Amino acid sequence: MLTVENLTVHRDLYPAVQDVSFSLEAGMDAAIVGPNGAGKSTLVQAILGILPRQAGEVFVLGEPLGRSGQLPGQVRQQIAYLPQNFLFDRRIPITVEELVGLGWEPLGLRWPWTDSRQRFLAIQQALARVDGAYLRSYPISALSGGELKRVLLAYCLVRPRRLLILDEALAGLDIRSESEFYQLLCQLKREQGWAILQISHDLDMVRRHCDRVLCLNRTLRCQGVPEVALAPDSLAAAYGTEFVRYRHRH
Amino acid sequence: MEPSLFDIDTGTDMISSELSRVIELFQLPFMQRALISGVLTGLMGGMLGSFTILRQLSFFSDALGHSALLGISLGLLLGISPTGVLLPFSVVFALLVTYLLEKTQLWTDALLNVIYSSSLAIAVITLSFVGQYKGGLNNLLFGDILAVRQADLVFSIVLLVICTVFIGLTLRTQMLISLHEPLAIARGISVSAHRTAFIVLLSLVVGISIKAIGVLLISAFVVIPSCAARLLSSTFTQYVVLSATIGAVSAVLGMLLSAWFNLPSGPSIVVTQLTIFLGTIAFPRRRLRAS
Repeated sequence: MLTVENLTVHRDLYPAVQDVSFSLEAGMDAAIVGPNGAGKSTLVQAILGILPRQAGEVFVLGEPLGRSGQLPGQVRQQIAYLPQNFLFDRRIPITVEELVGLGWEPLGLRWPWTDSRQRFLAIQQALARVDGAYLRSYPISALSGGELKRVLLAYCLVRPRRLLILDEALAGLDIRSESEFYQLLCQLKREQGWAILQISHDLDMVRRHCDRVLCLNRTLRCQGVPEVALAPDSLAAAYGTEFVRYRHRH
Repeated sequence: MEPSLFDIDTGTDMISSELSRVIELFQLPFMQRALISGVLTGLMGGMLGSFTILRQLSFFSDALGHSALLGISLGLLLGISPTGVLLPFSVVFALLVTYLLEKTQLWTDALLNVIYSSSLAIAVITLSFVGQYKGGLNNLLFGDILAVRQADLVFSIVLLVICTVFIGLTLRTQMLISLHEPLAIARGISVSAHRTAFIVLLSLVVGISIKAIGVLLISAFVVIPSCAARLLSSTFTQYVVLSATIGAVSAVLGMLLSAWFNLPSGPSIVVTQLTIFLGTIAFPRRRLRAS
């Protein structure tokens, strides 16, 4: 599904991610954990070709990622990415329907009215799936944090995908919306057969839902099933010993 | 009662004679060309302007307009006509700006300011070498829409077709780029190629319109209709279409205003755009409020 070999990515002149290798099988839910500034966002952005890499290889669905981030359109169609704190200009006039439609669109040279019937149906189904049918004609500037996350999830599932990459998808939600969102995500993962690579700060959630954990602090400190990778020793390697003592007290 | 009836009669007479004068005026070929040119500029400015303001490039058309003086003065020095210089200059300017923006990573407005104030300075120095320039600097600053030739119109029409096809075929890609660039890159869109193509197109529109509208007012055609359309629209497609429509409608109304009251044409169109913009502020903006 996803293979990363000896990946090194620099930000300004310094290596933010160094010599990282791992692979992700179909149906796997993997979490990248690590302290702030550990290079987690840099890693996923390099995997997607948003940031250039200095060394290493990335294979997405078996296809190599080009030096300037090229991947065949077919492969791009099957990946969905939700960036950290999806910050956009709230003054942009765009409705929920239009935003979800952008996820459906193949994005080549196409007239805007091409396949409008299929697009309409796909948007309707995707929104219904995230309990957001009533949001269809809302401007995105009017959405609450939780509604926006659900709409972005609809953007991901409006077309069948195989790999979902989430950069702190839950940031900014309160506890209740967070657990609701997680239940929905797990349900969809089972239904759609998604493989998920996600960055998370919530170690308890990772323990409950993920089947693979990557501890990152510039280099990959350890990886494995949650019981192993989230054991105190492994956490100390990624976060430092202070953090582990803190977690044990609480 | 008699005097007031008399007044109404004279009033009606005056209006009808004014109306026939305006109608006669629009039968003259140069007025017709001016009207068509205004509508074409309004359509193109509105269409590209809707993306320009979202990408915070509003200042670009202004900067390009000012810098065009450098192109024109260099043309005068080398003995090339302003029209021959403007388009190549605009494209080179656009490519230079995109290159510098990517290279320096500075704020767009600051960088544009550096470029346009320095080109203005070099332009004035160059003009001092040209000596007496009788072509009328005034016409370049404020434009002369009545001097539009057939060839200018043909070029504008071709450019309008290119803009419409380009925006039409890439509408959703442009939307995604305007909304969130990393999301667009993750979908495999070459954002920098799209950015360059858009800026080159915008600079051609500005370049072709400078003769008619002038370097000082051209940015109004790009910015004001789009701002008005933004206040009225709830969906993106509606916003782009409305922006082009407001551009065209204000050109027609502005030309009428200019013919009726014998006012300068370019500024009359801009004043019409402003009136529409102020009108949209009064319009209830139910879609803009955040719930």
